[in-house]
Amino acid sequence: MSRAQRAEQQNDSDWSLLERVVQKDESALAALYDRYSGLVFAEASRILRDSGAAEEVLQDLFYQVWRTAEKFDPARGSLPGWLLVAARNRSISRLRRRSSRGDEELTENSVVLPCSLETTAAQNQLLGRVKTILSGMPDGQREAIELAYFEGMTHSEIAEHLATPLGTVKTRIRSAVEILKQALA
Amino acid sequence: MTNGHPIRAEEFEIFALGAFPSEEQAPIQAHIDSCPECARKLAEARGRIALLALAAPPQNPPTVVKQRLLEKVRAEKSSTITPVRAGETRPATPWWNTIWAPAAVALAIATIFLWISDRHLDEQLQQIQQVTRTYQAQTQHAQALVNVLAAQDTVTVKLDATPAMPKARGSVKYNPRMGMMCYTADLPEPPPNKVYQMWAVPMTGNPVSAGVFMPAAAHNGEMLAKVPTGMDCKWFCVTVEPKGGKSTPTGPKVLVGTL
Repeated sequence: MSRAQRAEQQNDSDWSLLERVVQKDESALAALYDRYSGLVFAEASRILRDSGAAEEVLQDLFYQVWRTAEKFDPARGSLPGWLLVAARNRSISRLRRRSSRGDEELTENSVVLPCSLETTAAQNQLLGRVKTILSGMPDGQREAIELAYFEGMTHSEIAEHLATPLGTVKTRIRSAVEILKQALA
Repeated sequence: MTNGHPIRAEEFEIFALGAFPSEEQAPIQAHIDSCPECARKLAEARGRIALLALAAPPQNPPTVVKQRLLEKVRAEKSSTITPVRAGETRPATPWWNTIWAPAAVALAIATIFLWISDRHLDEQLQQIQQVTRTYQAQTQHAQALVNVLAAQDTVTVKLDATPAMPKARGSVKYNPRMGMMCYTADLPEPPPNKVYQMWAVPMTGNPVSAGVFMPAAAHNGEMLAKVPTGMDCKWFCVTVEPKGGKSTPTGPKVLVGTL
């Protein structure tokens, strides 16, 4: 059994693994990778629709964790939250050929998840909840918020993309966000 | 905008989504960077919005990505350890490395010392062995003398001077059973390149040499010679012979004794 697998079984916290990454323990990085690479890769693949590009985003992100783990402040947020936000930003930047802010993102790790994602069971449970929340939304709301999240579109861009009035798009997104907040509260 | 904050509470998720017009995002971000309360609200909003990622179809990355990542990490680790660039200090040398050089020198010195000591001891050992062999020979010689002198069947023969050397004197103690004889002789120094040689002359046959000697050795009575056992000696004589001796008497007789 690898150390990464043992870490998963022993349910080492993200913070304890990060402390070991700071000490250049590659098995700790492997454990974090095993824990979150599926979520990050699925997100990047969904945004980029290019598995090769998604692999690069995934590898770059975890390599950044390796190089700058000491900058991460667990008091300001969670690692999986940062990974998901950073993966989205980088993927959208690639998709829209925008420049990425790179290393600066790790110092801006103010992403507070409403729940833990440290175990596979927790991830599966939350994945089911999110799908249930989205499937319960009206199609227009779900479509608008998915365009905003996975395509990185602004209100105006969504309105143009859907040929829908800007006000309607803003209302749909605001309503979708409110449903999400209430469901996750 | 409310209470001096450029963003309402219900808009943090919209801002986290990035759905705000780009021209509005920069001033809002600038405020959040300086407002802990808004920063906290945005952090929570980002967390809720980030969970939308879970709506993506589950997909595991190929294992090769992890392999590449770990290879890259290992390469970085090794590259940060191996080279020492100009201006950088080399990693601290382990303490045990500092004793290798002096230990090697000490070992070399000890080796040389032991080698010299070994040679000296070897020379001493050879000297001791030589002395031991000498003592052993002397012991055997003395023991043989004692055996001959103490044996009841040993006979003594007085050697008389001849006209060639009137002042010479000597005697022989002979044991035919043991085939041993010892003798003394009081003789002057022989001529240059000459020695004295003792002979045992049987009733029949040629004289048998009982060794060559110089006067000092014979004077001390330590001359001991091996002759054939059971030989029926008739008389003994000492002759002057060339250095190294002869197989038969050739020189003048200086001492003669009849058994």
